[in-house]
Amino acid sequence: MTSFLPTDEEKEFIHVAKDIAIDKIRPVAREVEKNQVVDAFLVGELDELGFLALETPENWEGIELPLITQVQILQALSYGDLGVIQGLPGLGDAATLFRLCPDHPLLATYKDDIIHSKKTVALLDLTGNATVTIENKNDGWLINGITQPVRLASFADYIVVLGRDLDGLPLVMWVEVAEQQNLKVEFGDYRLGLLASGLGKYEFENVYVAEELILASDEEALQLIEKIRPRVQLLQAAKEVGLMEAALDYATEYTAGRKAFGQEIAKFQGVSFRIADMAMETRIANHLVWQAALEVDEDKASAGGSVIRALYRAHRSVRYVTDSAVQLLGGHGYVQEYPVEKWMRDAQAQVSLYGREKELLIQRGEQLIGGGTIGVNVR
Amino acid sequence: MITYELTEQQKQIKELTHWFAENEIRPISLEADRLGKVPDEWLDKVNKMGIQLNTSSFGGDNANKKLAKKERQGNRLGVIATEEIAWGDPAIALSLPGAGLGGPPIQSSGTAEQKQRFLSIFTKDEPRWGAYALTEPEAGSDASAVQTTAQKVDGGYVLNGQKIFITNGGRASWVVVFATLDKSLGRAGQRAFVVEKGMKGFSCTKLVKKMGLRANETAELLFEDCFIPDENLLGGEELYQTAASKPSGFQVAMKTFDSTRPIVAAMAIGIARAAYEYSIDLVRKEYPKIGRLYTIAAELLAEAEQNIAAARYLTWEAAWKADIGVANAKEAAMSKAFAGQMALEVCVKCLEILGPIGLDGHLVEKLYRDVKVFDIFEGTNQIQHLVIARRQYAPYGVRV
Ligand SMILES: Cc1cc2nc3c(=O)[nH]c(=O)nc-3n(C[C@H](O)[C@H](O)[C@H](O)COP(=O)(O)OP(=O)(O)OC[C@H]3O[C@@H](n4cnc5c(N)ncnc54)[C@H](O)[C@@H]3O)c2cc1C
Repeated sequence: MTSFLPTDEEKEFIHVAKDIAIDKIRPVAREVEKNQVVDAFLVGELDELGFLALETPENWEGIELPLITQVQILQALSYGDLGVIQGLPGLGDAATLFRLCPDHPLLATYKDDIIHSKKTVALLDLTGNATVTIENKNDGWLINGITQPVRLASFADYIVVLGRDLDGLPLVMWVEVAEQQNLKVEFGDYRLGLLASGLGKYEFENVYVAEELILASDEEALQLIEKIRPRVQLLQAAKEVGLMEAALDYATEYTAGRKAFGQEIAKFQGVSFRIADMAMETRIANHLVWQAALEVDEDKASAGGSVIRALYRAHRSVRYVTDSAVQLLGGHGYVQEYPVEKWMRDAQAQVSLYGREKELLIQRGEQLIGGGTIGVNVR
Repeated sequence: MITYELTEQQKQIKELTHWFAENEIRPISLEADRLGKVPDEWLDKVNKMGIQLNTSSFGGDNANKKLAKKERQGNRLGVIATEEIAWGDPAIALSLPGAGLGGPPIQSSGTAEQKQRFLSIFTKDEPRWGAYALTEPEAGSDASAVQTTAQKVDGGYVLNGQKIFITNGGRASWVVVFATLDKSLGRAGQRAFVVEKGMKGFSCTKLVKKMGLRANETAELLFEDCFIPDENLLGGEELYQTAASKPSGFQVAMKTFDSTRPIVAAMAIGIARAAYEYSIDLVRKEYPKIGRLYTIAAELLAEAEQNIAAARYLTWEAAWKADIGVANAKEAAMSKAFAGQMALEVCVKCLEILGPIGLDGHLVEKLYRDVKVFDIFEGTNQIQHLVIARRQYAPYGVRV
């Protein structure tokens, strides 16, 4: 029966995550942004609690939680600061690959290194990217070109590459950065946001990936990519909801205390109604993320569409809510003594990284017109 | 556990109400709008089928007693069924026999005797209605400004004043009327009375013509030295004495909103869905499958579908909170504020998809006219914002 009560286990997790978000993450957010790296002590602490391995399978020493639980925890953690969360090392977005192929023989050979030396893996999705080519050559593939900015690229030890070669063959490849002399990372000039997230562009110049390093190809690769993408998208959307909650609470508290024209500015409807709209948008994005998470967990045919819907809304809402927070703080919102200007920048960077809004929307619309999902999602 | 899945029982209710909406309501929708009323024979027929509009599920009634051990689900069932009925046609939904918006105050505040007397009249022999009359020419959003007076006399009260915009007010067998004993007392002076059709001094002076919802009656009511016996004071004298320090009549009026707002939101969702389904069907059948128009339609439909789902989840959450007995004023206001506004936007998007042909005999233009009022009655969009903001600021001790 429709219900919105987290399980006791989830409540436990959220409680711990929210505490650490408020006590440990939020206070260091500025420092992390300045240093452009998350402090190792905090990483250790989060790692200890399992928060770096929510998606990671158990045989990779992860906690392998269902998505509905993960999204709630990520929300709680991101309530501290999205910039910090996006800078956490480890399997990152690639964790989903490990989740879906926990016993892959190729990955198994790296298990020790990845788990015990705490290596970082970046996920590089080249599908639909025209600037990088993958060409079949002598029992292997040659990659050429410069990618778009990728999270964790500047310090990742391995890359999982999703793409198609020039013959249209879908591929999931494994690249060990240190082994590839022809692979460089262009660190770039990032100022907008998520500055600790290791953003970088990969420059491939005849980087050769041998047959043995292909994790999946053809139909198998296609299916894998189609399973990886929605999980990654949804986990990102959940983080955006956490950031929205932070901005909403911060702006509410601020406007309840700040006075102008002889009264708390909350008493002006231009202010309080904006807060009400922020609250609604936050709740809506939250619902759409939870609903999609449950559909993915249940492997429903409509799950992919629900994820796109949730991600689009999270993008749109996080921009609105973080912008509103800055607006409601006035000039104070614009300066770095307060966190909201950073949150607005981080939100916009996050939105830029994880899928163009209009494209998500049109894609979803085409799916709906194509039929099939209407019965599940609308009725 | 968090879940958006309906139970088997919920699915059955949904399917049943949808079947009724599709086969009994929708076929007469445009005709009823043209006539400006729901045909009497039709009302008679559905009343004999036992179909009524139920806007309340307060604890204490029989159905809920049976469920006492299990989690209550009346509010959730209510919003699920209402969405379907309104999908059929909102004006007809609001015209279905039953206590309507008058039901909740009687159930939440009436004495046992009053509940029996007023709620047992909705039987299959003939269609009957109840109504809720708060709004006056000078008191809409500001319900504390009610001007209708109630003067205590021997054995009862004498009412004088006017009510406007009262849904089913002319045909109702009884109307819950809010009046004031003493304007200077503000909210504390308010009382609720059940005024019965035929009582001397009570009349319906006008049925107003509207932009939409034309098949549903909206009445002006007049009270001229209208005597109301003591037993029709809602809740009896005790209700107001036990809560002497509280603005009780006003509370009776406000208390019902937390359960009726999600219902009204569900209606708006049903309307939006009707427009959406109508338009996507047309795009599938008649649009070219490539090109700019197609892309625009995809975008508009995706946005509509998403907002419909979003409103539904907000509404379900508000209903769920009511079912588990947790304060839900904020969620109820959110559902109403969001659903009311989004439903109009969805209808606008659908009209855009239809283009000029949408003006001629298509359901969507009617839905557009119908839906606007869902952002106005049961508290305007702005009033819902106020309620949300108040709850949002409550932890910081600021009253906005
Ligand atoms: C078809 C229909 C059916 C209805 N059915 C019923 C019924 O059955 N029973 C009943 O009692 N009433 C009914 N109503 C009345 C309805 O509830 C009121 O019209 C509504 O509450 C608004 O009141 P008002 O019209 O006086 O507008 P006003 O209160 O005058 O509002 C005018 C504008 O001012 C805004 N406003 C007012 N106060 C504030 C504030 N504090 N902050 C910000 N903005 C504010 C409003 O949002 C609105 O935009 C019905 C109305 C219609 C149209």
